[in-house]
Amino acid sequence: MNKISQVFQRLQPAGFKRPLAAYRLVQAAILISLFWKWKFFLEANSIYANIPVEDPFFPDWLRSVTTIRLAFWGSALATSISLIASVNLLQKICSWLGFFGISLMCIHQGSYNDMTFVTVWWCCLWSVWLAHRLETGQQELLIRRAAFLSRLIISMILLGGAAGKWTPEYWSGEVLFDIYFVDRDFWVFNYLRDTYEPKELQEIAKWYSRQTVIVETVSGIGLWILPARWAALIGTIILSGIVILSNQYLLSVVGCLIGLACVGFLVPRRAQPTVLTAHPTIEKPTAH
Amino acid sequence: MVDLNDTSSINNEQQRDLSFCCILAFIGLIAVWLLLMPWIPGIAKQSLQRFHLRTPSFSVWAAQFPIPSMYNFANQYKVEQYPPGFVMMILDENWRYANHFPARVITFFAGRYNFLSSNQDRWFTLKSSYRGQFLESKFHLEAQAEGGYKLIRIDEIEESL
Repeated sequence: MNKISQVFQRLQPAGFKRPLAAYRLVQAAILISLFWKWKFFLEANSIYANIPVEDPFFPDWLRSVTTIRLAFWGSALATSISLIASVNLLQKICSWLGFFGISLMCIHQGSYNDMTFVTVWWCCLWSVWLAHRLETGQQELLIRRAAFLSRLIISMILLGGAAGKWTPEYWSGEVLFDIYFVDRDFWVFNYLRDTYEPKELQEIAKWYSRQTVIVETVSGIGLWILPARWAALIGTIILSGIVILSNQYLLSVVGCLIGLACVGFLVPRRAQPTVLTAHPTIEKPTAH
Repeated sequence: MVDLNDTSSINNEQQRDLSFCCILAFIGLIAVWLLLMPWIPGIAKQSLQRFHLRTPSFSVWAAQFPIPSMYNFANQYKVEQYPPGFVMMILDENWRYANHFPARVITFFAGRYNFLSSNQDRWFTLKSSYRGQFLESKFHLEAQAEGGYKLIRIDEIEESL
């Protein structure tokens, strides 16, 4: 843990602005999340144009394939500019554009409540907040606040996953057995299917599901309380574990959150207060 | 492990950041909503309706999107070629679980491709349950002559909310 922090510290040139580095880190992570969905966008682009579904629940413009194209490309372009821009006004404008584009994705008929867009939306909200403060003179206070906000967002998202799983169907493993263990083509589940009998698989699914519920509950309730760098490390491990043990598509959901978690590594160590202790000098008795 | 200095320094700082406080309050509100969901039936009902696109108002439904809900509830779906009750299936076992928002089986690209490429009518049944609450919704996807589908909500719905 200390070594990771030291590596981060060594990589910092003179005049290094931690909040700006954090901002760019999260923009890069948002782009990874968005472009991990590239296949989704390509297929959605064609299918939504060819098979429209008329549903009066959604306003017409939130069913239109044009809206989803503009929202996706607009957000991706704005985030790319945010990543490389050095003018703060441009960073602010692009952060807002990305935020609005992703907000549209979150309520469009073809992409609503996709967890990728929800997690990216939270990262965009964080980015808008930070973009308006990047030029503050209190850089250390700002990075501490940014890191605190980042771990609070990650905790809340994990809590959202946990709360909906406090059900008998998740505790018994029934849901995840059907979603993952029956036919999901991913290395973990392929290996388990090849190695174990269906009866044993159900037992494994039960414990797999229970560990998911417990990890999400504990981290959802407690991650934000941890010190910045510990929260960054544990958050990164948990989020990476979700991808490694569930499916690669989830990288689009957690990729941006991993970037957000890593903001904690940029928080500087607190200088240890120098305690000047006045030890009374004990004179050795001189031998006479 | 708890580093109270990290947050206390924020609280002690003289310079106030209203936006920061607003975002904290917003996150706190969502956390309270989530923590109360298992105990207050009304919250779970809102969420179940949200999952089935049955919130009475689109605005209320849309306002809930920031609430994270990955892999929430036990959601199942079934797709049929005939209207419910038209053909008695001998084996009524083609239910599959969906991770969240089961209505996305109809609206999202993969579901549209898998179930609506044929340009023939389809009937979808969605079931979601959460700690004793249950919601079932039926949708008729009516193929249109000019291509695409019209989504019709079938009134006979079952719920125990």
